[in-house]
Amino acid sequence: MILFHKLENALLYSVVIGLVSISLSQIWLRNVHDSGIYWGDSALRVLVFWLAMVGAMVASRETGHISIDALSRYLSPLWRKITATSTSVFSASVCFIAAWQSYLFVKDEREFGDIAFANIPVWWCEAIMPVALFVIGLRFLIQLFFPIPQAPEQDT
Amino acid sequence: METYFAIAAILLLAVMGAPIFVVLLSLAMFGFYIADVPLMIVSVELYRISDTPLLLALPLFTLAGYLLAESQSSTRLVNVTQALIGWLPGSLSIIAFITCALFTAFTGASGVTIVAVGALLYPALKQVGYSERYSLGLVTTSGSLGLLLAPSLPLILYGIIAQQLGVGPSFTIQQLFLAGLMPAALMLIMLSVWSLWIHRGKNIAMQKFTIEELKAALWAARWEIPLPSLVIGGIYGGFFAVSETAAVILLYVFIVEVFIYKEISLTQLPVVVRKAVAMVGGIILILGVSLALTNVLIDAEIPTKVFDLVQSKIESKWAFLVFLTIFLLILGAILDIFSAIVIMVPILLPIAVAYGIHPVHLGIIFLANMQIGYFTPPVGMNLFIASYRFNKPITELYRATLPFMAVLIVALLLITYIPWLSLGLI
Repeated sequence: MILFHKLENALLYSVVIGLVSISLSQIWLRNVHDSGIYWGDSALRVLVFWLAMVGAMVASRETGHISIDALSRYLSPLWRKITATSTSVFSASVCFIAAWQSYLFVKDEREFGDIAFANIPVWWCEAIMPVALFVIGLRFLIQLFFPIPQAPEQDT
Repeated sequence: METYFAIAAILLLAVMGAPIFVVLLSLAMFGFYIADVPLMIVSVELYRISDTPLLLALPLFTLAGYLLAESQSSTRLVNVTQALIGWLPGSLSIIAFITCALFTAFTGASGVTIVAVGALLYPALKQVGYSERYSLGLVTTSGSLGLLLAPSLPLILYGIIAQQLGVGPSFTIQQLFLAGLMPAALMLIMLSVWSLWIHRGKNIAMQKFTIEELKAALWAARWEIPLPSLVIGGIYGGFFAVSETAAVILLYVFIVEVFIYKEISLTQLPVVVRKAVAMVGGIILILGVSLALTNVLIDAEIPTKVFDLVQSKIESKWAFLVFLTIFLLILGAILDIFSAIVIMVPILLPIAVAYGIHPVHLGIIFLANMQIGYFTPPVGMNLFIASYRFNKPITELYRATLPFMAVLIVALLLITYIPWLSLGLI
């Protein structure tokens, strides 16, 4: 588990470092040398996609995702438990279905063999999708037993 | 029948606290399922995130904002403004409005303004003689002031979505940033004038102006003072593209906070980066699934139906704006600003354009409403953050924010009904 967290963090930092260094070198090359990495902009767009996916994975581990949560404050502990369980099971199922569908999609794309940029096949760029969705789904199930600690709420 | 039942069940789960991205994703998948489209299409739609060049600015600005929020820049910002205008009568309120607005513009209205700037100002306000209730109301409402100023994330997000829809006259993100200037200034001025008016004749302590103090404050903040001019020169001046400005600002903030002020240690840095990326990643994911949902809705001709319904009931542009305001205020009280933008803009923009409302003006109206939604009971986010931070019951905050809300609603109406305020500069 710890190893996986470290791996996930390492992936996140690499994406951020890649994103920042490619955008800065593009600015440098464009403004100072009047040139640029020709695949730079495509790489940046794919990295933003990866950042979103890895960020969402980390969010489901550490901070939680944005939700409406208008009801839970007014519910009794028992009902809170019931709603938390049903939303977690529902969220996990939705993520698993989406993960499976994107796995099929990536598999198709692999057979297709298109190139995204600089010899990197499109399916490599997309491969994070099923992985991230699966991990997020798994975490919704884990949350059932180990909820993400939230800031304590003020009683009204 | 089953369709409505399924949608109702999903919406119920949403109110019960299911993440917004899951709600939108399930609605999209359900829509494709009904339309007999293979569900794999959801992945195609999600991957469309990588087709949106402007999106790059979001993570870069978010990272810069988180770095600023974690450092002591809020203290230095308050000190500089205080040394500059602290000698004016009733100026601490004005200082509070300005610093909150600037801080929010850079950090996004994630509530960090209340924690970082509000927590400094709240005791100071009480100390110089403002009432408890007024001080509390001020720091709670000011947590979202500045949403209309560049480089605020919601403003960029609105620009990205509106440009992708390509409805109505086209515009650039720069124009959107320019459009936010006068409405933001209007809000600041109205709040300041109102505050001076209700405290006239009251004994509010002032500070003596000393050039030494100003020098010291400016010197302490010397590395952060260029930041607004980087934004002004980079974005408003058109020297850099928006995402380029974001990258330059991030690099600058990183060097200043980590290596010059040394307020964020290299061991702390990964935690800050993770928090920022988790936040922005969640938002981009919501954007991605909402792209899919928008297509489902378009295929089901829902926007057209809503459009026809609205047009059959509401004739004039002005009446439409009344309904829009009421609708957005309610929406802002329930949904967070990012979800509200990605879900509602694709539906509202075509309708608004048909009523002759400029997309830029709609964006400003939308965000001005959301800004008020941040402290609208029962679920406005600022209320909970302030309640937690200042250890006050939330009902007390409801009362404290009401007069501020009244002033901002007047400002909102002016912004809504005088398009020139938004469009005069572009």
